[in-house]
Amino acid sequence: MWLKRLATDRLARCQLAPRDAPFVVVAPVKSALRLVAVNAEAARLGLTIGMALADARAMYPKLGCADADPDADQHLLSAVADWCDRYTPLVGIDPPDGLILDITGCAHLFGGEAPLCRDLMQRLKTQGFDVAAAIADTVGCAWGVAHYGDSSLVPPGIARDYLAPLPLAALRLAPEVVDALADVGLKRIADVLDRPRAPLAARFGANLVRRIDQASGDDDEPIMPRLPVPPYVVERRFAEPIALEQDVLGTIEHLAGELHRLLERRGEGARQLAAALFRADGKVYRIEVGTSAPVRDVARLRRLFAEKLAAIGDTCDPGFGFDVIRLSAMVAERCDVEQVGLATPDHAAEFAHLIDRLGARFGLRRVVRLVPQDVHIPEFAVAAVPAHAVKTTANLAVQVVEQDSLGSIRPIRLFARPEPIEAIAEVPDGPPVRFKWRRMTHDVARVEGPERIAMEWWRDKEGRTLTRDYFRIESRDGVRVWVYREGLYERETTEPRWFLHGLFA
Amino acid sequence: MTVIIKSMTDPCPKLHDLRRALTSWQPSWHSWQHDERRLGLGVPVIDAVLGGGLLLGAVHELSSARPRDHGALAGFAAALAALINANKDGRQIVWIQHDFAAVEAGHLYDLCGLPLSSLVVVQVPRVIDALWALEETLKCRAVAAVVAEIAEEGSIDLTATRRLSLAARDGGGLGLLLRHRPAATSSASATRWEVASASGACDAFGGLGHTTFTLSLVKNRYGPCGRWLLSWDPHERAFVPPALSLGVAETARDRSARALSARAA
Repeated sequence: MWLKRLATDRLARCQLAPRDAPFVVVAPVKSALRLVAVNAEAARLGLTIGMALADARAMYPKLGCADADPDADQHLLSAVADWCDRYTPLVGIDPPDGLILDITGCAHLFGGEAPLCRDLMQRLKTQGFDVAAAIADTVGCAWGVAHYGDSSLVPPGIARDYLAPLPLAALRLAPEVVDALADVGLKRIADVLDRPRAPLAARFGANLVRRIDQASGDDDEPIMPRLPVPPYVVERRFAEPIALEQDVLGTIEHLAGELHRLLERRGEGARQLAAALFRADGKVYRIEVGTSAPVRDVARLRRLFAEKLAAIGDTCDPGFGFDVIRLSAMVAERCDVEQVGLATPDHAAEFAHLIDRLGARFGLRRVVRLVPQDVHIPEFAVAAVPAHAVKTTANLAVQVVEQDSLGSIRPIRLFARPEPIEAIAEVPDGPPVRFKWRRMTHDVARVEGPERIAMEWWRDKEGRTLTRDYFRIESRDGVRVWVYREGLYERETTEPRWFLHGLFA
Repeated sequence: MTVIIKSMTDPCPKLHDLRRALTSWQPSWHSWQHDERRLGLGVPVIDAVLGGGLLLGAVHELSSARPRDHGALAGFAAALAALINANKDGRQIVWIQHDFAAVEAGHLYDLCGLPLSSLVVVQVPRVIDALWALEETLKCRAVAAVVAEIAEEGSIDLTATRRLSLAARDGGGLGLLLRHRPAATSSASATRWEVASASGACDAFGGLGHTTFTLSLVKNRYGPCGRWLLSWDPHERAFVPPALSLGVAETARDRSARALSARAA
């Protein structure tokens, strides 16, 4: 599928360019401003791509022009590719302005290949694009027919007949090769199709032979789909677009029921699901939900999507309504049916479902388990790991710190950034006698320590990491804090600073 | 399974047995049974005032007396969670932490005595989210205790706390609402505590002793209020009465007549 005038159509859709007056897009090429894209009116007047802007202006002084913006063009192309997802999940981008869709097996949903093509072209035309499309057995043939031919459907098996009258540029060759072939007198594909291949390859490069093979079907050319193809997909199309949230949820529940049947047949459950809502005017919204254990229960899936929609529902504006809703299971794992006892309640499954719901509402990274790490630096000794990624909690053993006190060794709360305090202490190694934290002065009643924790010298190349001496301090009113001095006096710095790192119970 | 009602002379015990039998078949009827289970703290004085212990299936509010007591507040909540977890029935503890609470008082690190394998931490951005998460978690029957830590005074009024109490009754776990600033509005929670840190006794070597709290029971639906000094032992996972300081023990002398005569002689 070829979007013939992507750049000018983009500007015309944004009302930045008129449709009925000639308009061009320019960019500096070979040290002169040249035309990169022309709209239909300008093409009719005879302006071509590659002409210098000065010449074009000389011919038509009232020519409108704009700067080229390839990023915006690619962005629009991706949006159109997203929209084409409704026809088939295998959509590939063919830069700079084409799309390749693999419609094997999807055509029957639209009543045949020709109706699909007509529907696609008609919808894109109403959205303001000038498009040419062709359906063929191979990518090469379809590309050539779309760009240079005039029919839109190449029946299977007779690709060569349709390819023959096309010019050689239809084979996606480099311009130099096309010029070299034209010098020798080969102008149409028919001229090269039946020639001996070895001299062609020797003279014009192996690419020529490869492209001929790809176009005629002797060689395979796979499409690179933009999005990964999910293993399970169910979808629903509406003749009349729907916009209410409860209708959307009801549809998702119905689709979850169909997905349940598919998953049950294979004995699998879904770990990650995505619901794609296609708006009638082209925008696509994707809602993703993850779970910590494979699930295929319909009520649970509906609940997860309800929470997610409640969290992000404001950003999904239905506009004129959604006309296609698709539910796909992106990741599926083996899920065995367990025998549930009648008397004993199933705590593990219910807790997993609670975690999934909280994760769907707040984001999976906000529901964490604290996992002790084998690191001696206090900030990294306990890591927060998302709960759905922790499979078993059996091996979460606490790292053993030497217990030499009746109270706790490590504080219950640790500040992400240690707070600087002012402390009065004996030099060089003494514990603080009085300190000031958050504008309150505390007198120290009892101290335990010091506990020396050296930083990882191999991480800091300049040797700036300073050793810390930690003290467990109880003030006169009973507040217990974890305080450290950063830097050894006279050995590492001349002015060690004091920080408060944590609070004890 | 058949249930035989032997006689109707004493309907109340039979009704209770009948309810219990039905509940064992159908766990969802648990909520209207009003099973009053309590968590005993292990300290007879406090348990007597509470009527046996902290009521499970209800929401209790804890707040810190002064801003520097946030550590003590979290410590007391963790101690209660560790007490519940000691039952070892496979149920988990959920700690819901408001983002601002983490900024003001720090992240959770080493919960005195509570094993980290039974804890899940949920970080929520706003107070409303924290209340929603608290309600959802209280309704789940697979959760032994929920602790929600809120730093700002948001929309926690009488209706919100009543909803939370109903959710806790459905679920049957212990709900603890930690507030960094003591609330002035009325609430439907079962008890309301204020926690402050207190200086504990030294151990034999002059170092720090057990963690000590000053607990003030400000509101109690089932009995009188009071104020106590309590210590927590993280290794035994139990509350212990605070040890008398050595100074006091030394000056206590035997003033009985026998000792007087012994000293005179």
